[in-house]
Amino acid sequence: MTALLSIRDLRAGYGDADILFDVSMVVASREIVVIVGPNGAGKSTAMKSIFGLLDIHAGSIAVGGTDITGWAPNQIVKAGVCYVPQVQNIFSEMTVHENFEMGAFLRKGDYSAALDRVYQLFPDLKAKRKAVAGSLSGGQRQMVAMGRALMLDPQLLLLDEPTAGLSPKYMEQIFQISRNVRDTGVAILLVEQHAKQALAFADRGYVLAAGRNRHEGTAPALLADRNIAEMFLGG
Amino acid sequence: MDLLSFINFFLLPGIVQGAIYALGAIGVTLIYAIMRYGHFAHGDLATFGAFIALAVTTALGLSPYAALPVAVVFTGIFAICIDRLFYAHLRTFPKIITTIASFGVALMLRSFVQVVWGVNTTSYVHGITRPENWLGIRIKSHEIITLVVAVALVVILHQFLTRNKWGKAMRAMSDNPDLALLSGVDNGKVIALTWIIAGGLCAASGFFLGINTELKSVMGWNILLPTFAAAILGGVGRIEGAIVGGLIVGIAEELSVLIIPGEYKVMSAFAILLLVLLVRPTGLFRGKVL
Repeated sequence: MTALLSIRDLRAGYGDADILFDVSMVVASREIVVIVGPNGAGKSTAMKSIFGLLDIHAGSIAVGGTDITGWAPNQIVKAGVCYVPQVQNIFSEMTVHENFEMGAFLRKGDYSAALDRVYQLFPDLKAKRKAVAGSLSGGQRQMVAMGRALMLDPQLLLLDEPTAGLSPKYMEQIFQISRNVRDTGVAILLVEQHAKQALAFADRGYVLAAGRNRHEGTAPALLADRNIAEMFLGG
Repeated sequence: MDLLSFINFFLLPGIVQGAIYALGAIGVTLIYAIMRYGHFAHGDLATFGAFIALAVTTALGLSPYAALPVAVVFTGIFAICIDRLFYAHLRTFPKIITTIASFGVALMLRSFVQVVWGVNTTSYVHGITRPENWLGIRIKSHEIITLVVAVALVVILHQFLTRNKWGKAMRAMSDNPDLALLSGVDNGKVIALTWIIAGGLCAASGFFLGINTELKSVMGWNILLPTFAAAILGGVGRIEGAIVGGLIVGIAEELSVLIIPGEYKVMSAFAILLLVLLVRPTGLFRGKVL
């Protein structure tokens, strides 16, 4: 397996305080990997440290063989990694279309192909392209956020709790869209509270607890493990 | 009072004064949207711009209107310099420090104007302009020019903010600064752009105040309160709000003369400000709360 993203023995946190302890992970290209675990396990922290938003104290992060440890977010974006934060992940006073244009801000030249692809992935948004993003429903806002991140044609998409606060219907839709996104050649690493449902659609999973790796494996294997189900997946 | 005299003596002067406030209020609102502090040197920056136009007029013997573009560009660049010199190193500190610093800059600018051009009242053109008479509506040529240029500047700004890549980046930075940075927007460039626009509009507001009334070193300081009242009434961070707010404050000031003595006109701006802060602190267009 060729690793697109590889994290080795990562220690990271805010300031001097560590939140993650020796976390290691890999994501292969075109793979959907989910990070699950109880509240406060460091799931979102792991995501943010990949994107250069935290202080890394030890360990390394590499994308496609390039060491990106300690890079600034705008450099990491250029390395092919885009990040969708859990909250405030859209420009709510701008239109859907302008959100996508801002996603392509760093691109030089024509980006109509990326725009077409995003509208193909989110057909619902095509009719709403001139609507102010903040006026959309929660699920559609999440789609705007994903579309914005996809405008740079990333190799790896980081999604921080994309289904938080969404209805089951929208949750299924976001998972389905994520699969479609993967089919266009993008690997996805996501953090999920809805562990069972997420493992049902992901390829592999990591279980984090108290800032450390606890379990890892293919999604079906994690789902089948009685111990993990009882401890982390709500029975 | 018949309709014509209402228009001639209250509505038209109110709209002209309102346009002057609006030009300043747009700058105040833009600076708050991008940098999140109230810029209290805005009035004195307008004075500075007005006197730059005077200097160009007298030095080159040009018409004051030819000096306006020079003053706008010069004041815009000057505003970037002020930011680099006095505000840039305060960015990571609490915003109130920059607000206080802007008071200091206001005093420096006023003193500079007083040292260079003196404290006496002066004007761009001497003599009295006769108003044109259109079907009983009496309007002076400089009032028409004020309105035309103000509308043109607002249209250009609107086009820039909705069509241009960097204009959109400015709106993005105002909307969600973290996401704008994640999208690769260069904060420094957006800040410089904000200053050149706010500074340029500020010079225009000072210039038109000078051409409609007279030039003196405290002219900008005197319109600072109505300018802020306009920005807050419209909703801080909302450009359309600054325009509507400016017009309402301008017209209200003229109408207030019906009730209170003319010397207390500025009280009406103060009353509007108080009322908005008490009743609807987000302003008419739901802006940010100062």
